[in-house]
Amino acid sequence: MKMPFDAMDDVPDEALLTLFANGDGTAARALTLRMTPRVMAHAYRLLGDRDEAEDVAQEAMMRLWRIAPEWRQGEAKVTTWLYRVVANLCTDRLRRRRGVDLDAVPEPEDDAPGAEQGLLQQARADALQMALGLLPERQRQAVVLRHIEGLSNPEIAEIMEIGVEAVESLTARGKRALSDALASRRAELGFDDGWD
Amino acid sequence: MMAGTDRNETGLETFFESARATAPGPSGDLMARVLADAEAVQAARVKAPARRGPRVRFAQLREAIGGWPAMAGLVSAGLAGLWLGVSPPAALNDLPLAGFGAGESALVGMLPGVELDLLALEEG
Repeated sequence: MKMPFDAMDDVPDEALLTLFANGDGTAARALTLRMTPRVMAHAYRLLGDRDEAEDVAQEAMMRLWRIAPEWRQGEAKVTTWLYRVVANLCTDRLRRRRGVDLDAVPEPEDDAPGAEQGLLQQARADALQMALGLLPERQRQAVVLRHIEGLSNPEIAEIMEIGVEAVESLTARGKRALSDALASRRAELGFDDGWD
Repeated sequence: MMAGTDRNETGLETFFESARATAPGPSGDLMARVLADAEAVQAARVKAPARRGPRVRFAQLREAIGGWPAMAGLVSAGLAGLWLGVSPPAALNDLPLAGFGAGESALVGMLPGVELDLLALEEG
């Protein structure tokens, strides 16, 4: 059965995946549009490199297409599964990188002071990305999922296959490290209120 | 200390908001590649089931009668029946078949053409 494309907006991810497995082309497009941006953004935040993030996003989506016929409804959310696959793929890449190129952590752009609001926002995002790159992988993943993706601690615990308390510990340590890393740059990033 | 922690939270939240607002979107090229992968996987799956059909039916039959042990029993029983037909043991001839009619006619009834041919050869 074919459904009109805009009718897919209210269809849950898991149902779309079943439709995809049954050969529905509209479901393929809907899942691509719905999932790829999230997968791409998450991979970028874990890797800090746009080209690598695109490769990871394509591979993660390919794994989703392949597993679709075996997907068991009610066992896991598609997004949970995808976040886990992205994290694993990113970990593999970071391991290959480790000790070889410290330059992979992107440098922030230096045009923030006196720039317009949009540029200031971009500068802050870049600075955060650089600071995230300095965190241990698990701390980075937990902080990104909690504070940028906006997931709950139980969801993150499921994705990372750890307990909720461990998630809380990782995010707390991660945020402390981020604060330390960003403290020295507060003036150039528009903070003049004594944040420390 | 507490005030400092609150300011840290507020300051970090500003960074997180900036990150959310400037999320790196996928390029058009990536979207096209992902969709092409999806369509290729679907197309491959459409072709695949035709070859697997007979195997699935045999598997269903096997499971319906109780799996491989039941299949082995069925085959053994079939072979035993075939052997009894080809080479019946002598004891079978002693069975009291009179109740079903004449002993010879009972066997003739099983293989009528063969029996008549043998009789013709003996008489001829």
